[in-house]
Amino acid sequence: MAEEFNTEGMLDVYLFENEQLLEQLQETVLDQKDAECFDQDSINEIFRAMHTIKGSSGIMMFDNITAISHKLEDVFYYLRESHPEHVPHLKLVEHVLEVADFITSEMDKIRNGSTADGNPESIIKELDKFLDMIKKGVKAEGEELPPENVHVEPQQFYIAPVATDASRFYKVYITFSPETVMANIHAYKVVYAMKEIAEDLLYSPEDIISDEDSAEVIMKEGFRILLQAQCTEKEIRDLIGIGYDIKKVDVYECKAEEFLRGFDFGEQGPQIDLESSVEVIEAKAEKESEPKPVEKPKMAPGDFVIQSKEPGKPKKLAKDKSKNEKAAFISVNVNKMDQLMDLIGELVISQSVVLQNPDLKVPGLDLANFNKAAAQMAKISTDLQNVIMSMRMMPLTNLFQKMNRIVFDVSRKLGKEIEFEMIGEHTEVDKNIIENISDPLMHLVRNAVDHGIETDAERAESGKKEKGRVTLSARTEAGKVWISVMDNGKGLDRAKILAKAKNQGLLDDGKPESSYTDKEVYRFITLPGFSTNEQVTEYSGRGVGMDVVIQNIQAIGGTLEIESTPGFGSTMTLKIPLTLAIIDGIVMETGSSSFVVETGVIKSFISVKEDMMIHEPNGDEYVMIRGECYPVLRLGEWYGLKDYQRSVNEGMMLIFEVEGKTICLFVDRLIGKQEIVVKPIPSYIKKVKGLSGCTQLGDGSIALILDPVGLIE
Amino acid sequence: MDEISEVKRQAEQGQDASDEHDTPKGKYMTFKAGSEYYGLEIQYVDEIKCFQTITPIPETEDYIKGLINLRGKIIPVIDVRLRFKQEPFEYNDRTCIIVVIVKSTMVGLIVEKIAEVVEIQKENILPPPTIGRMDKTQNKYVYGIGKVGDSVKLLLDPEKLLNDEDMSVLEQANNMEAEEREV
Amino acid sequence: MKILLAEDDFTTRKFMVNFLSKYGECDVTVDGMEAVDAFMMALEDGEPYDLVCLDIMMPVMDGYQALVGIRNLEKQRNVPQEQATKVIMTTALNEERNVKMAFELGCTIYSGKPIDKERFEQAMKKLGLI
Repeated sequence: MAEEFNTEGMLDVYLFENEQLLEQLQETVLDQKDAECFDQDSINEIFRAMHTIKGSSGIMMFDNITAISHKLEDVFYYLRESHPEHVPHLKLVEHVLEVADFITSEMDKIRNGSTADGNPESIIKELDKFLDMIKKGVKAEGEELPPENVHVEPQQFYIAPVATDASRFYKVYITFSPETVMANIHAYKVVYAMKEIAEDLLYSPEDIISDEDSAEVIMKEGFRILLQAQCTEKEIRDLIGIGYDIKKVDVYECKAEEFLRGFDFGEQGPQIDLESSVEVIEAKAEKESEPKPVEKPKMAPGDFVIQSKEPGKPKKLAKDKSKNEKAAFISVNVNKMDQLMDLIGELVISQSVVLQNPDLKVPGLDLANFNKAAAQMAKISTDLQNVIMSMRMMPLTNLFQKMNRIVFDVSRKLGKEIEFEMIGEHTEVDKNIIENISDPLMHLVRNAVDHGIETDAERAESGKKEKGRVTLSARTEAGKVWISVMDNGKGLDRAKILAKAKNQGLLDDGKPESSYTDKEVYRFITLPGFSTNEQVTEYSGRGVGMDVVIQNIQAIGGTLEIESTPGFGSTMTLKIPLTLAIIDGIVMETGSSSFVVETGVIKSFISVKEDMMIHEPNGDEYVMIRGECYPVLRLGEWYGLKDYQRSVNEGMMLIFEVEGKTICLFVDRLIGKQEIVVKPIPSYIKKVKGLSGCTQLGDGSIALILDPVGLIE
Repeated sequence: MDEISEVKRQAEQGQDASDEHDTPKGKYMTFKAGSEYYGLEIQYVDEIKCFQTITPIPETEDYIKGLINLRGKIIPVIDVRLRFKQEPFEYNDRTCIIVVIVKSTMVGLIVEKIAEVVEIQKENILPPPTIGRMDKTQNKYVYGIGKVGDSVKLLLDPEKLLNDEDMSVLEQANNMEAEEREV
Repeated sequence: MKILLAEDDFTTRKFMVNFLSKYGECDVTVDGMEAVDAFMMALEDGEPYDLVCLDIMMPVMDGYQALVGIRNLEKQRNVPQEQATKVIMTTALNEERNVKMAFELGCTIYSGKPIDKERFEQAMKKLGLI
């Protein structure tokens, strides 16, 4: 969650902290849903959560959230003080979740910039009735009522800034054409024009009137303006538009805080020193890596006194604001993380360009020192990649908890008693993956509850003693994360599926039904429009679900495996590669085209001879390798390439294994192993079977990335 | 090579200058494909590159020649003559790739020869003829004929150039699926 | 209602005076020091301000220092809690630690800029000012 907020703004902190509280609350509640009643710790926790939310919402003047949390706090205060017996537990659980849902949806509105206008009246009325009922119960037993809960009204309020038609903040960047003389005077004309509309204005370089050197700076680095005004971008451009010497104008809207920070004079780009010797450079590097002294974080009154307010200069504070340090976590803007990932990709590519540079291919060159240095660079680059990848990793816990809630809701509505079990929920995966499997996983879980697990009556009939259970598990294996949804329900009905498939004309005419393996039969349910449910329920069974699940999973390079035992249950397993961006690949050539395959898929490669080949009359080919028979796919033929190797004796066979199936791919030659950055094939080009992306090789040429699953099918 | 940077410079200038003037005229990048000269509104043109190695992609339309590496960005390129179902031409060192951006899709257009950037007033643009020397295929992509001095340039609609009926059928299909899911 | 405004920027000053005048009589100062002086004068005259509106970034003395000054003056004169003046701080800074410090020093309302006029009125109503 932390990465989604890029400032420590009041609103962000409010939303973040309360979200955490509500998540924790939901977990606690679901944990105890099957208990007789809430234990003391949970009651305290829920009380405290509501108390905190009430307080902070009061300060922010979100009155509806304040009112509803106030009411629930009252209920739990009562439970805490008088420990009544016979509290209708499930009803209470539902009320708590109702309140949590209301607050969450209001906070979503706030986060999106709209007003929190939800009406909590009906929920509050219900809570009142509930509380009254318990109180009556207690009185009936002759117990005393505890003193009423005391609420302290908030005395301090925070008002968030309004974003509408008031002041806006802009960064303007002007480039002058190369022939311009006295650019500083032209810049001054722009500033003068801006003063018409500006509420506040800063520019850099600052001294454009008297300092002639500023013209040079402006030509080299452009002229920058920070503007606070109530106008639109177009009005700014119109104002600047005068003057033919202006080559380009960039206008970016920004936040107030960015405006206040003034011009960032960031670090200079990395200087590549080609002159000094290696020793000098290494010595410089060591010096620069000495730790800097830790700065003091405290802020105090007096820090915000303004030293001077001169036109064109930023409001300088009399005291230099020092940066504060944060202990364990910092929140990072997701965009920056994405930028970092892109840069790491670019780094890997340029590393290849350097290491495979044709300049190095001069014969007779002694590259011992170079190779040592290159190896060191490669090691650092790999470490950097790993750290950056790990920064994007998040545990699956939240996602699994969401599923917990879904199982609870759906099972309640269907009247089935279902347990929920989580295994390996702390497994970490890339944030991207979590976003993409959320919907498919929900669908699988709903299916399990709706179709997998039978009604209590059916279970009793078939002699099943245990309660229906849905188990969600996750583990990593061989660079992939395996996430399974397992139910102990009635399993998939092979006969029914085959019948439906036949009905829809999906069966192969020549193939007898019995020759279809179970796996093949189960695969039918993933086809669009397929659903053996007679009744379509609210939750699933419309027949548009499973195929979408497969699409979403394939979009992130994953696969779905279906296992089932009739009468005992089914298991749906998602297998998803852990990282999508950079993979270890083997580069190969066929004809004049280069291809890459992920290393993990290749079991081995071998040169074969013609006599090991078997040619079927229908054109299929197989090869005998070490006593095993594998189907052969000639890459050149498959893709209709030109000038590729036809003779099996001259090329190379690669043995692929994926999803339990093995094939042999015949290519011209292997080039080598390389770390590659996976880039998508531009969306303009329709999807080609067997290709999952493209990449840039060390020599700048483009290689297509093969998707073994696509090839095998 | 100089010709190309000159044309690029013209193109860039064209983009700024046209913002100032109110008179309705547009700037067009013109190029030769087949026996005709075509024009494309300058706002779509991102840059012009000399011919470079193209990596073919199997199993795509014949006019989609493949991918090129544009300073680290991998973009698709299409052959304009093949798009117009004309005879393909031999690529030589005059062949250029015009990189265009249409609705945030970046594509390269392989053309025989780059000509200049011209300004065409609105009144000099005539609707395309429905009969005559232009065949039906080109009609889809050409939205007008621009008179420049003694010659004419066929003005292309970049969206139609990149997408054709097949694509829109695909889009429709996608939309229908999406609607079903909603239900 | 007597209102004291401290704001160094001309345009904002105009806006604030315009906005606050409909609630009461508005006195204007341009830095923290002037504001504390004005507050003291009013206290001594027996007609203290009901509402003080402070910008945070100001010359000579910033909003926080002015706030401390005002609260100290009140303490000196044993002004009881219920009668203490209500202080509103306005600024474009919205970091949580800024708000926290303001509340700790005795600020009543912290409003980000641009000011949300509706909520401002809402808060004033809750505090019983209008």
